Amino acid sequence: MVRAQLFVTCMLDLFRPRAGVAAVQVLERRGVEVEFPGGQSCCGQFAYNAGHHRRAAAMARQLVRAFEDGATNGSPAERPPVIALSGSCAAMIKHEMPELLERDALQRRRTPATATRWRRRAEALADRVVELSEWLDRDDTPSPAGIETTCSAAGGSAPLKVASHTGCHMRRLLGVTEPPLRVLRRAGAEPIELMDAEQCCGFGGSFGLLEPDISAAMSDAKLVNLATARGDGATCLVSSDLGCLMQLGGRLSRRGDEFPMLYLAEVVDLADRDRLTPADIERAARSQEAMPDAR
Amino acid sequence: MPGELPPAGATWPERRRRALADPVMRAAVAKSTRNLAAKKEAAFAAYPAGEAMRKRAVAARRSSLGHTDALLEELTRNVEARGGHVSRAAGPADVGRYVLDVARRRGVRRVVKSKSMATEEIALNEQLEAAGLHVRETDLGEYIIQLAGERPAHILVPASHKTRQQVRALFDEEAGRRAVNPPTGDTTPELTAFARRQLREDFLAADMGISGGNFLVAETGTLVLITNEGNGRMATSLPRVHIAVVGIDKIVATWMDLADLLQQPALSGTGQRLSTYTTFITGPRREGELDGPEEFHLLLLDNGRHELLGTEFEDVLSCIRCGACLNVCPVFRTIGGQAYGSMYSGPIGVVLTPLLGGLDRAPELPKSACALCYACGDACPMEIELPRHILALRRTEIERSMEPWTVRLTFELWGRFWANPAGFRLTGRMARLGQRAYLRDGRLKGAPGLVGGWTATRDAPPLARESFHEWWWRRRTSRADT
Repeated sequence: MVRAQLFVTCMLDLFRPRAGVAAVQVLERRGVEVEFPGGQSCCGQFAYNAGHHRRAAAMARQLVRAFEDGATNGSPAERPPVIALSGSCAAMIKHEMPELLERDALQRRRTPATATRWRRRAEALADRVVELSEWLDRDDTPSPAGIETTCSAAGGSAPLKVASHTGCHMRRLLGVTEPPLRVLRRAGAEPIELMDAEQCCGFGGSFGLLEPDISAAMSDAKLVNLATARGDGATCLVSSDLGCLMQLGGRLSRRGDEFPMLYLAEVVDLADRDRLTPADIERAARSQEAMPDAR
Repeated sequence: MPGELPPAGATWPERRRRALADPVMRAAVAKSTRNLAAKKEAAFAAYPAGEAMRKRAVAARRSSLGHTDALLEELTRNVEARGGHVSRAAGPADVGRYVLDVARRRGVRRVVKSKSMATEEIALNEQLEAAGLHVRETDLGEYIIQLAGERPAHILVPASHKTRQQVRALFDEEAGRRAVNPPTGDTTPELTAFARRQLREDFLAADMGISGGNFLVAETGTLVLITNEGNGRMATSLPRVHIAVVGIDKIVATWMDLADLLQQPALSGTGQRLSTYTTFITGPRREGELDGPEEFHLLLLDNGRHELLGTEFEDVLSCIRCGACLNVCPVFRTIGGQAYGSMYSGPIGVVLTPLLGGLDRAPELPKSACALCYACGDACPMEIELPRHILALRRTEIERSMEPWTVRLTFELWGRFWANPAGFRLTGRMARLGQRAYLRDGRLKGAPGLVGGWTATRDAPPLARESFHEWWWRRRTSRADT
């Protein structure tokens, strides 16, 4: 049995827990023993990107501790991987956290040795972090138990078209662009990438709150390209970052339009259960319940 | 010494409002940036040796920044040995004074200029015009925005936010002022034919040519100019006097370094292998030569640059002004260049404007003109760490308490609660209760404080009835029970 710890992110925890539940079920079906360290909250990226590094560091230290505490079995070298349910938050841990924690410790007048220790601890966490689609895309990821291949389960009918959006940090800081597409294809879906796919959705953390009009104008440009994909038969928009989905979905909703926006694990979960149909996608996207339909 | 940039003009909210309310400009900017970004990609894809050359060019720029002072001395000796004059200018006033001195001494009344960001930075045209000189921009794009009374909206293609119809209207007005025939239509050939006719007159009548410079080669004292229109060559060879105003950051040690650098602005800026005209200027006209000015002056502009050497921001001095970062920036695509209130717009402008002109001059740029998407960092051929610099500038603003106290308090409280698992769960429960006031049709349509920025233009889903933490805990206990 493979062990893995789940980092669900604050946004998913509060706004779309059912996406996290879907991830748990997807992973458990693939034989993963999922652990959830309860000490986790936020990686601190929002505060960090807004320039509030002292506060960001406090959140980041808590995250480091949470995944150390939750991994008491075995030596540090044997700690399980941490599967992150956001490309952007995974990038924060991998790219910013070690430097942030070292610098912050020095600014709080800790000894250089303490600062180095914080860097090492953050690096140890960074090494363990894997974004979900990347994990599912690994060759050694087992097939879901009891499910042969979802493609054949679809009964030979044409694969369901889904529009796909890759967040900027996942694309540029993690360099993960192909795995979500391969995971979707393996789930029996046909991903459609939007035109100008590499352009930001407009969220941008504190930027999106400070500049609601520019942010919305950026989303509107993306939504024009989504409209094209909808015209081409896309049944939903899928992403590995809930932030982008909330931005685009929120903008669409404000304009009086609705379109299913699903986190990647939700699509894989539907496919696992042989329910990757437009009606089930619609139902999943609308549901406010934490628990997806029973297995 | 810190530098000095012209004021931003209108306030940030006003500039932003104007930009967002101009769909014609926004469509033109989106089209031209997408086009230029695609040309850059295609140029590198079609040029297998290009990538290794670019890497060497980066190394050459970084290495020259490590020896700036020594290289500037070497350059000065070599320019003077060939009969040129070299002077250091700390900022705008130094340049204005120097140029006006030369103009008075040589009886100059009419000046032609080739495109130069350095002279935009010090508002040289305004300084010269205030002293009664007639100044004509001769780059087509610069000519257009000079007629429009605007600032460049893009580092490389200053008038790319204008449509052909808008350009024709400007040319019609100019034809009226000059009492000449207006353009015969609004096709590109007709418009350029008009501009060429007018500019030829200006070139022939000019007493002084002012240029910038793309590079300075220390080992021979050579000024390098690259243009696509040939106007740089005319402006520096026809008038009696040539003054070049060049930032001290443009220095390179050797022609070998230059060989790697020379193609970079074209490759990344317009997707060309090389710009159409490459001009090397080493001193004024010598005895027996037919072309060239009688006097050549090189003004080495500091304006806040020297202070950046040796700091974490040093690499911004390796910028070659290609505009590649502007062309991929989603914010630039949305608001265009003029909203930045600076001749340097887009990501490099977000960084360079506060670094040269002070954070107080443009506190809004790092936080409001960047979504931290990292596209600029990937696009920059000189590998300038633009996103990292933007993060550093945001942090500096917080450290200097340039944020309103309400925002500071929000982050302070939020950070304290969320750095603690119990605090995190508590705020979630509180928000779930508090959100009822803002729920309409199952969507959050408003929110207090900072989060109100979100709901100004977007809905949000309500917080879930059960968080993931709570679900996990419930599942674990129910499993333990059975």
